[in-house]
Amino acid sequence: MTTAGYIGRRLLQIVPVLWFVVTVTFVLINSIPGDPVRILVGPSADAAAIEAARVQYGLDQPLYVRYVKYLAAIATGDFGTSIHYGGVPVTAKILERLPVTLLLLVSSFTLAIGTAIPLGVFAAKNRNNRYDHLARITSLVGVSTPSFWVGLLLIIVFAYYTNLLPPSGLVMPWAPPGSVEGATSRLDVLATSASHLILPSITLGTLQMAAITRIERSSMLEVLNKDYVQLARAYGISERTILRKQAFKNAQLPVLTVIGIQITTALGGAVLTETVFNINGMGNLIITAVRAQDYQLIMGTTIFFAIMFVLGVLVVDVLYAVIDPRISYGGADE
Amino acid sequence: MSDSTVPAGESTRVGSSTEERTAVSRSAQAFRQLKRNSASRAGLYVIGIVTLVALLTTIDADIFDYQFAATFWYHPENDPSGGEILLPPIGIENEFGAGNWAHPLGTDHRGRDILVRLVYGTRIAVQVGLLATGIGMTLGTVIGAVSGYYGGWVDDVLQRFVESLYAIPFLILVIAIMSAFGRELGIAIVGVSITTIPVFTRLIRSQVLSVREMEYVEAAKAAGVRDRHIIFRHIIPNSLAPVLVQSTLQVGVNILIVASLSFLGFGVQPPTPSWGQMLAQSRQYMIVNPWFSIWPGIAILVTVIGFNMLGDGLRDAIDPRSND
Repeated sequence: MTTAGYIGRRLLQIVPVLWFVVTVTFVLINSIPGDPVRILVGPSADAAAIEAARVQYGLDQPLYVRYVKYLAAIATGDFGTSIHYGGVPVTAKILERLPVTLLLLVSSFTLAIGTAIPLGVFAAKNRNNRYDHLARITSLVGVSTPSFWVGLLLIIVFAYYTNLLPPSGLVMPWAPPGSVEGATSRLDVLATSASHLILPSITLGTLQMAAITRIERSSMLEVLNKDYVQLARAYGISERTILRKQAFKNAQLPVLTVIGIQITTALGGAVLTETVFNINGMGNLIITAVRAQDYQLIMGTTIFFAIMFVLGVLVVDVLYAVIDPRISYGGADE
Repeated sequence: MSDSTVPAGESTRVGSSTEERTAVSRSAQAFRQLKRNSASRAGLYVIGIVTLVALLTTIDADIFDYQFAATFWYHPENDPSGGEILLPPIGIENEFGAGNWAHPLGTDHRGRDILVRLVYGTRIAVQVGLLATGIGMTLGTVIGAVSGYYGGWVDDVLQRFVESLYAIPFLILVIAIMSAFGRELGIAIVGVSITTIPVFTRLIRSQVLSVREMEYVEAAKAAGVRDRHIIFRHIIPNSLAPVLVQSTLQVGVNILIVASLSFLGFGVQPPTPSWGQMLAQSRQYMIVNPWFSIWPGIAILVTVIGFNMLGDGLRDAIDPRSND
């Protein structure tokens, strides 16, 4: 089977998982005590208005009918309308916020992987000396620190105390220059965007960085103790070449597994990071939805978070298969 | 523990070979290794102190309605009359005044003593961390053991269920649960324990798959022992070591999740102090009194590090190869 076939098959496997997610969310939201219609129309509405709204939102129908209708609707990409945002389609609201969160996730993962892998390799190479201890302590502290607190500290130091970086908001790098304050060219927009992105990315990336450093270090150490590496050493191959040619690639599989696990943590972390930095992404959207008791919006955002997660894991799985030739795509022609 | 350590250790030296004795001596060796590891010892001390504080504050809060704190210190929930707001810690000055010994870590936006609130915030963190982990571990272990032992369609159904729980990022899942059932602490505990289940299901299932094939399990089956007895008396006890390690680490993770939830406004509601909620309140005052934002984070960090150090130490003690 080809890589494309493998990806296609994995995409199909996602369908039942998403169906389950939708069902869980639907059941959860519909078990909310109280009358959602009353919240929709406000406390001052009379009985006729309540009844009218009930029919308008289809809430007069039995639960299973609403469930089937909801499934049918979201299959066509219709997640209903948001009450809080004055009847805007949920899908439109989500698509408006999604790029913000994706930008944040990609930049924090880039930062985390980019620092963690060299740090882990370096620590493994210098096992038990002071740099190794430093790396171990850093990663222990990193996995034990609440990410939102890191954000608050960064704001205090870099925004309020030294005034180097902005404390809130996020500018998209592809925003038109006219819409960004003080920007006249694309370059200005990019610079503003980068300066807004630094603190949130560190905030969101700290935990990932620490977790990846730990696994990179222990995985490298394990590989460096393998017989074939010892043999290479006995042949007089330099430690540098061994690291580059023999050890590194083989040590990356457990690292990928941990990166996959970190995706779920990162999505939760995005909610916190967006709250700390007042960034209008998916995380802020779901919190707003919950506070406003906007049920359609809660369901839509929850399902989209699940979609992001499942697709993220798929990417990791494909990379896994690319790195490790022993893992087949499940075809018979292996 | 120390009583049984000595003879068990000696029995290894004489070279006892019975199954039970080696098992005891292995755990004794693990315990000795744990005591030698200074990091895990430090972790044990931190956990001991934090748990003791949580216990004492819970007694004071739930039984005596903060009378002890109010008499000897400050009331953690109420504003002191004429209390100075947003004071910095000792030795530092800000626009609201200079730090003094009456409030060693300063005061919050309502003039409440930060140290007292931090100390009383411990009970929420420890309660929820331990309870949620305990419930999640128990359910996860039973589901995983049943799933791995029976295999077949039971395994398939349970695995699909657990995998799907994994598909919703855990913070989002807890938020969805709390938006449906309420933002109280009890719901937070249930929510966090549900997100903990899959961790243990996966772990124990892989253990059970290897234990299931062991000769003593086969012997028990041949002798006509019931499945339930085999699962609870043989399979689960023999798979517990990694569960112990994972639950220690998981308490740390769950304390972080609960703090995150309080930070977002879910969980214990004001005026009851919790660390995450203190951090949320401090956000508005970061310019005038940054210390208000610093202390609760340190409390979380120290507590979680304690559980992580003990968990790492336990893992090294049980499986020395994982050390490095």
